Amino acid sequence: MEHDTIALFLTFLVTGLTVGFGHCIGMCGPIVVSFSLSLPGRRPLVPHLLYHCGRILTYMILGGIMGATGSFAIVAANIAILQRGAMFFTGALIVVMGLSMCGWIAHVDIFKLNGSPGGAIVKTFARLSKRKSMTAYLPIGLVLGLLPCGPVYTALLAVARAGMAAPSIYRSIFLGMALMLAFGLGTLPALFLVARLTDMGWLRFRDKIYKLGALLMIGVGIYFIVAAIRY
Amino acid sequence: MYPKVAQGFKRTIFFRSGHLSMVQARHWARILFFGSLLLGPNVAMAGDKADAAINCDIQKGACTQSLAGRIITLEVLPRPVKAMEQLTFNVHIDGATAALSPPHIRLNMPAMDMGKNQVPLKLNAQGIFEGQGVIVRCRSGRRTWKATVDFAEIGSVDFIFDVIY
Repeated sequence: MEHDTIALFLTFLVTGLTVGFGHCIGMCGPIVVSFSLSLPGRRPLVPHLLYHCGRILTYMILGGIMGATGSFAIVAANIAILQRGAMFFTGALIVVMGLSMCGWIAHVDIFKLNGSPGGAIVKTFARLSKRKSMTAYLPIGLVLGLLPCGPVYTALLAVARAGMAAPSIYRSIFLGMALMLAFGLGTLPALFLVARLTDMGWLRFRDKIYKLGALLMIGVGIYFIVAAIRY
Repeated sequence: MYPKVAQGFKRTIFFRSGHLSMVQARHWARILFFGSLLLGPNVAMAGDKADAAINCDIQKGACTQSLAGRIITLEVLPRPVKAMEQLTFNVHIDGATAALSPPHIRLNMPAMDMGKNQVPLKLNAQGIFEGQGVIVRCRSGRRTWKATVDFAEIGSVDFIFDVIY
């Protein structure tokens, strides 16, 4: 591998690392905390790992597309609607997780949503947020990887530039995917640190934390939904 | 007796309206930690017009700043200046430009790291340094951005302005 290419990978990795601590903890921290809170008494490593795998896989797909097209603005405009949907999904997921933790999902059923599309959505979210199905965190990560994110945009912008300089379209796609992989890996330490710090295992008064955490989660979820509508 | 009292004292934190055991204090600290992680950053970021003093109305036209006794002018086109769109950055410096190597612009938010976004500039026929770039959008809704023009010879100057989402 050429020195320039290695330098480029290292730049993406280090950028991911620095924005992880300077940005992701603030913006994606609530999501990671919500996952930790919804996994009481379990080792959260596997679900968090699956979530991050999904998230990074989406970054890689976006990197491949960006590398192939070489145009950030056009791709960004085309995926804006998907990103809005991802934001709404995130909000709804966190709200349902919060409701589930409070034991209020049953109240939602009282409104006879079961047969309606709304009921199907609630059911799906409830299933996703159930603690048994850890594999659900991979598709959740895939969707949440689409969340609008400044540093991801910046990385994709650099990928588009690098893609334009590549000799062939296949090289551009491969380069774009590999660079976004490096960027995504760089963001891991900060988010794993948050997951570790919010691991429920070292808390004694879980019930209190639960109730409060669940209420906060509902608040955060509503914030995401409102942000998606206003985005 | 004395050591026992001292131990008890050690484990108790006194507040104005009573006292809280160290264990309770620790748990409340953890609750606050969770709360701040869950809500803090998003709520704080939701507020616009941050921290940084805006020194440029880029939507109205070119902005000027002084650096090392010279006047630096930044203009971003097309207007209105919107995030997520291809923009042209023009930098003009009064006096001779021959001795200067082409500068670059670093785009970031004043209070939040958005990654390394650089716009390389080239001297055009009109004696203006010109380059293409994109100001990305922050999910927080905050619109204040900082463009730092870096000259290798004379240093850096910041232009802080609002963009349109």
